[in-house]
Amino acid sequence: MTEVKEPPTKKAKMAETTTLENFIENIKNSKKNLMAILSDEFTKPTQFTQVYVGTVNNVQELSKIITTLNDKMPLKELQHLKRARKNEVILCSVQYLNTQPQNSIQEYIEENVYELKDAFKYFKVTGLPAMPPKLKKQQQEFSRVWSCNFHPNAYLEKLYGDQFFSINELMEHRCYMAIAFEIANYYLSKLKSNLLVSDVSESSLNATVVVDPTIKSIVAISYDNRENHPTQHSAMLAIDNVAKTQNGGAWNTADKSAIDNELQSHIQKKFVNVKFGARNYLTKEVLDEQKKNASESPYLCTGYYIYLIREPCVMCSMGLVHARANRVFFCFNNNLKGALSSKTKLHCVPSLNHHFEVFTDFL
Amino acid sequence: MVDFMKRALELASEALSAQEVPVGCVFVINSEIIAESRNIVNATHNPTRHAEINCIDSVIEHCKTNDIDYMSYFKNVTVYVTVEPCIMCAAALSNLMVKEVVYGCANDRFGGKTVLDISNFYEYNYNLVGNLMANEAMALLKQFYKGANPNAPESKVKKDKTLTIN
Repeated sequence: MTEVKEPPTKKAKMAETTTLENFIENIKNSKKNLMAILSDEFTKPTQFTQVYVGTVNNVQELSKIITTLNDKMPLKELQHLKRARKNEVILCSVQYLNTQPQNSIQEYIEENVYELKDAFKYFKVTGLPAMPPKLKKQQQEFSRVWSCNFHPNAYLEKLYGDQFFSINELMEHRCYMAIAFEIANYYLSKLKSNLLVSDVSESSLNATVVVDPTIKSIVAISYDNRENHPTQHSAMLAIDNVAKTQNGGAWNTADKSAIDNELQSHIQKKFVNVKFGARNYLTKEVLDEQKKNASESPYLCTGYYIYLIREPCVMCSMGLVHARANRVFFCFNNNLKGALSSKTKLHCVPSLNHHFEVFTDFL
Repeated sequence: MVDFMKRALELASEALSAQEVPVGCVFVINSEIIAESRNIVNATHNPTRHAEINCIDSVIEHCKTNDIDYMSYFKNVTVYVTVEPCIMCAAALSNLMVKEVVYGCANDRFGGKTVLDISNFYEYNYNLVGNLMANEAMALLKQFYKGANPNAPESKVKKDKTLTIN
């Protein structure tokens, strides 16, 4: 808790030399809330697009002018902007005229809406927000320039803020993240004593904890095997371990179950209140027979929370999309390979069929 | 080239008969098939078990048994796959620095080029060639998506649709 208040330089310096044990305690006990990684629409500065704006001669005719314009020169991609502000009216995007460079905006209006040829006193080109505002903060910023249509979304506002998780939820997330580090601690301590945070943070190894939040239980855990097998990153192993809880699985890893027994009892000693195990898997036949809804049986990682030490790479992130994970939490950024923040935000690619939420900022 | 894609298409048909998304794949070194597989996602309940991932596994297995350095082995591999590799598989193949990937039809749902061009994130990029027997590959996919995925829970939208049809 005290670390949170310390200046960032000191915190970073401390992190390198902290023992892994102390670090895990800090991850677990810190009260600092997590931050969602949102798409660029929320985080990047406003993009402006150049449009023609006309000042009307007679304000009394404004509503008639707007009706005529909406009919003959609709705003199309600028629907999020109100057509008029005071005595000014949006005419069209500058791009529309670039295709006919000899035309002035006056000529363009005469061609398209002849009846408005004398409606405007003068014209100007101005930059207006290219995209609709998503957050109140953006709407306020936009409104200084022009009025926008805005539908506030309470969930998004909360997701953008720094108080998303209640203290109880936060302690749960931090506990599962601490367990991800404990997995690394368990395996690394077999090779080396007096482990430091740097032994984990400076390697490329990863560990994964998969949790079913509906029963607050660890479904699967995994530790990286990339040194022996190039696709056995911990997230890929975790997905396979989840499959093992659903009558499936493809990899004959040392642990035939979703959770290595020895590792489980190691974790249990340090995290006494943590539960293990998945909801019962029901085959399609059983579901039909008992007239149960398919949602009563686990399906892939649907609804599951995934905790990783490090931001997953492109392969693993897409694997988690395929697995339909519900939320992904990670602690360290992966500057070279990370696909949820560093290199790209895979969970924000609109055309994908599944999107999970991503949270970080454990430190 | 066509022969390798024909074999990949055979594997894709096999997947279709097994009620899997029909994608087949062969790995080739010096005009010789060294690994072949198809989708086994529904059988394994593991959504990452795509044809390419299975082929990678069998190459790793082969290399381990014969004491071959897999990284240098993969450098000579040309991948023939009936559908453009998804973002996950494309990333895996980039990591392994395979020589070339030849695909049948584009993958506009998950494609590692079409949906998100992963070559932007990697220093190494394999040579990517598309549109080899694309119609055949697409025909298999269309056949599959006419039926429903047997493992997926029924979506509300689909339920509503069937209701209106009935």
